[in-house]
Amino acid sequence: MSFLSIVFMNYTLNTNSASTQKTSIAEALKKLWPLILPEKNILFVALGAVVVNAALNLFAPLLIAHVINVFVPAKNYHGLMLYAGYILIMYLFALVTSYMQTWLMGGVGQRVLYRLRGSVFTKLQELPVAFFNQNKAGDLISRINNDTDRINQFFSQSLVQFVGSVFLMAGAAVFLLSLNIRLGAAALAPSVLLLIFTQAISPWVKKKNFVSMQTLGGMSSEIQESLNNFKVIIAFNRRDYFNKRFQEVNEQNYTASITAGLANNIFTPIYGLCSNLGQLILLAYGIYLISIGSFTIGLLISFIAYVNNFYNPLRQLAALWANFQAALASWDRVHEILVMDTDLLVEKGETAKKPGAVLEFENVNFKYPDGKEILHHINLKLEQGKTYALVGPTGGGKTTTASLMARLYDPTQGTVFLSGRDIRTYEESERTKKIGFILQEPFLFSGTVRENILYGSDEYQKHSKEDLEQVIKDDGLEKLLERFDKGLDTPIAGSGDALSLGQKQLIAFIRAVLRRPEILILDEATANIDTVTEELLEDILKKLPATTTRVIIAHRLNTIESADEIYFVNAGVITQAGSMEHAVDMLLHGKRDS
Amino acid sequence: MDNEEIKKPSQANLFGVLNKYRGLLAVLIVLALLSNGLTLWVPLIIAHGIDGFLKSRVLLSGVLWEFGIAAALIFIFTYLQSVVQTIASERVARDLRNNLSQKISGHSYAFVEKTTGSKLLTNLTSDTDSIKTFVAQAVVNIVSSAFIIVGAAVLLLSLNWKLALVVLAIIPIIGGTFFFVLKKVRQLFLKTREVIDRLNKVINESILGAALIRVLNSRRPEDAKFNDVNSQARDLGLQILKLFASMIPVITFATNLAVLAILTLGGHFVIQGTMSLGNYAAFNSYLIILIFPILIIGFMSNIIAQAQASYGRIYEVLDAPDPLENGTLNVPLKGEVSVTDINLKYGQKPALKDITLSFTPGSKTAIIGPTAAGKTQLLYLLIGLIEPDSGSVEYDGQNIHNYNRESLHKQVGFVFQDSIIFNMSLRENIGFNTEASKGNMDKAVATAELDDFLHTLPQGLDTIVSERGASLSGGQKQRVMLARALALNPKILLLDDFTARVDGQTERKILDNIAKNYPGLTLISVTQKIASVEHYDQIVLLMEGELIATGTHEALLHSSPEYAQIFESQKSTSNYE
Repeated sequence: MSFLSIVFMNYTLNTNSASTQKTSIAEALKKLWPLILPEKNILFVALGAVVVNAALNLFAPLLIAHVINVFVPAKNYHGLMLYAGYILIMYLFALVTSYMQTWLMGGVGQRVLYRLRGSVFTKLQELPVAFFNQNKAGDLISRINNDTDRINQFFSQSLVQFVGSVFLMAGAAVFLLSLNIRLGAAALAPSVLLLIFTQAISPWVKKKNFVSMQTLGGMSSEIQESLNNFKVIIAFNRRDYFNKRFQEVNEQNYTASITAGLANNIFTPIYGLCSNLGQLILLAYGIYLISIGSFTIGLLISFIAYVNNFYNPLRQLAALWANFQAALASWDRVHEILVMDTDLLVEKGETAKKPGAVLEFENVNFKYPDGKEILHHINLKLEQGKTYALVGPTGGGKTTTASLMARLYDPTQGTVFLSGRDIRTYEESERTKKIGFILQEPFLFSGTVRENILYGSDEYQKHSKEDLEQVIKDDGLEKLLERFDKGLDTPIAGSGDALSLGQKQLIAFIRAVLRRPEILILDEATANIDTVTEELLEDILKKLPATTTRVIIAHRLNTIESADEIYFVNAGVITQAGSMEHAVDMLLHGKRDS
Repeated sequence: MDNEEIKKPSQANLFGVLNKYRGLLAVLIVLALLSNGLTLWVPLIIAHGIDGFLKSRVLLSGVLWEFGIAAALIFIFTYLQSVVQTIASERVARDLRNNLSQKISGHSYAFVEKTTGSKLLTNLTSDTDSIKTFVAQAVVNIVSSAFIIVGAAVLLLSLNWKLALVVLAIIPIIGGTFFFVLKKVRQLFLKTREVIDRLNKVINESILGAALIRVLNSRRPEDAKFNDVNSQARDLGLQILKLFASMIPVITFATNLAVLAILTLGGHFVIQGTMSLGNYAAFNSYLIILIFPILIIGFMSNIIAQAQASYGRIYEVLDAPDPLENGTLNVPLKGEVSVTDINLKYGQKPALKDITLSFTPGSKTAIIGPTAAGKTQLLYLLIGLIEPDSGSVEYDGQNIHNYNRESLHKQVGFVFQDSIIFNMSLRENIGFNTEASKGNMDKAVATAELDDFLHTLPQGLDTIVSERGASLSGGQKQRVMLARALALNPKILLLDDFTARVDGQTERKILDNIAKNYPGLTLISVTQKIASVEHYDQIVLLMEGELIATGTHEALLHSSPEYAQIFESQKSTSNYE
């Protein structure tokens, strides 16, 4: 391998191993920070509301206790009413702060979710085709929907309580320590154990959540695949098989979810135990201190009351901590996509010019990341305005050659030149404008025929209905539209499952022709279209500007008979066939390796 | 329309789902009550310890023991509770998913097409998850909250019924707020789920159409589409949030007002001398016990509303009428097929008009015609994927509905036009029907001319192919699909334009192989190439859903100008082949 060879980016997402990145909380928050940044001010206000609300909830009972213990026994009407007034004011404040904390924090959660989903989707759009060959649609959907939602749940529900609980705990801890440092420290000692325990066990909990989200992704892939191909399942009588496979992934998800659930729920009992342990230590040590005369019974009673203010929020924290770990695990899965980068970068700077050909392959080798080499030392020169045909047995490398022309992939070795410039130096918009590629597997978006024809074309989007019809007529495409019962307005549902492959190919054809590319590649683009209609297509192709270069891949010989040049593609080698007869001869009798 | 929307989910009783898990939930509730009860016992133990110390100036070791035991028991019960809770909720989710999958798999192709895969995916994932959350969190919390509320209410009434009535006056306020908010919120949750369906669809299409998007450089419109749905999801989320953000403070405030009323009114009673100070203090502390569960129910109402909306959607699938009764006829087919007076509409446009055809056992028929003539629909009708609006399909003189579907599908092979490859080994892709014997497999693989290709793969038949078969070429996929149909060792073979992506030489070999290896097979083949079917027993010409002509190649050349035209369009090159 020479230094020219490109190291392939591995686009495979982690779907079966349970190795998660070990992210510390600080690191995780740092990664989340860009998502939160625009919410910084709101977040501060919300946290303010959380703190005020927590404080109000802490002080109102103290005032009530004062009323019961002091004013009422003293029959102090004035004090009773005065304090009732204070309490009412506090409750009114609490009404506002509790609304604010839910509304503001929930809003942060919703917007973070919105941005997170958006950035994952945008990232998906940046990644090359190779990424989609290596990952399953269902798993990606699960990451965009389910994993981001976990993160949202943490933001909108848990974070408020989290901050509130930590605030209450900190307050209670300071209060206890200032009351009596020794007794306070003793009562809080079990929480140090909790800290160590939590530190130790959190990575494990996160891992279990990661696995559980992975199996959810796996299940989603299975559902996606089966439902997309439901007609095969019916026609081949494999309803039971669908069930069996589903039950398998469902069972896997069940087991993984139970493990994750048990891991998440381990915090609550342990935190509860520690809280009771704290009270037990307090009781025993407090009574010891009293017996040696350095503490009073009255103080011990209030101390016991206050220590609850520390341990009650701590118990709440247990469940919140589990939510946090689940969110971190989901974040890892989302982050895996976000850190991927396309290896099809636009190269900067001037590169060697290769004047002459509109498209040229120079010593091109290609292999898919996981497989053997598909193309060997291809040298190819396509001239402007000519029609080229690629023929050969299936699996010979025709589609791969075409994909390299459109830079769906980069060659592992060698260079592809487009109009004399390295194809890698073209901006995407510039390149795609020059090259029209009708793919072997036509794909339609749900919508209408019109939307699909205009898809991705800024120019025609602005055309009025009449203008568009005129353009279609000028190109001789209107006859093709007769194949659709409502013409341009024919609805397309569910990725066009109701349309035949031939109809889909017609739409792809119209779309490509309307874009007026300099090079038009047809990869078996008319294979399922009847031969009479195909003659029509041929006329349309002939009417394209004289400068248009056409590359046609086909099995049907009448499709390629008008080609200026025929290439025979077999076993990764491209040879010039010269004449039609020679090409046919090679097809029928030539040695074939694939 | 509005009426229907509201009516449907209300038939779906969310709590009915729990019926089957009564035992597990009972254990769960008992454990929850035990651990909660024990938690209430702890302050009593502490009080007991302090009292004991005051009396005897020593800490009774019995108290420490009691405390230790209580702590250990609480630990055990809460742990067991969490275990049972996890198992119960996951089991409900698993069973619900299995029920759904069973229901879906029993349905027709048309049902799945109509319901759309993205909705079913949401049903099986997000919808089921929200029911799981309901079981995991809401059930225990509601039962224990209700328990505490009732207990505290009884205590309050027994202490001072006049004050208690003041407290109970807030219940209608809280109930009314709940009712109002939940009614609104359920509609919003339903809408949210629909938006999630759409989000699934957009992502799904952007993945399936990834290559096209890159070829057309149409990232921006895709982003715009996604953003549109994503913003809808966010806006709905914010609307729901607004309701809950208002509801929770209102409930808290109402409860707080009750506390304040008790404080002043009770204080008044005490000062007047109509209530003892001890009762007054007790009344206040029980009141605080009452507040917390009310708040919990407020939070749980969110989960319940969400689960109800989701269950309504799941119920629509579970409750959908079963497809046609399966027939009972289970006999070997002779291979005769006929359709009589078939009519089929697609939208408003007829896709097939008054089609009557018959195929004799062992015969070869080609169906040709322009794009959108209804050829594929005709094949779908033959295999029972879709139902005609009128007319009948018969096998050996018996209506297709009389046959046991499984038995029929075992004897009729179908090769679809579009490549459908599953992410599993080639062996599983071909032997899709597990009953394929080794002999049948080998024969199918050889007939489809896959042997040479398989030899180039280090793992041969055990090679795993990726989703959507990205690692295979178009022709390889088509041959794998042919082998899949042949592995059934079918009596009847339906081919939908299967040679479109196979080169001429391979195509000829495959057709020869079929004739040789599967003698007596009834072949019905949709095709574009006349040259390879000239010798067939029957050629059917379809155009825009109408049967234009049937007959042999020779006869049609003379009788049908349309056929002659098609033949002409292919003639120029057919001499090469």
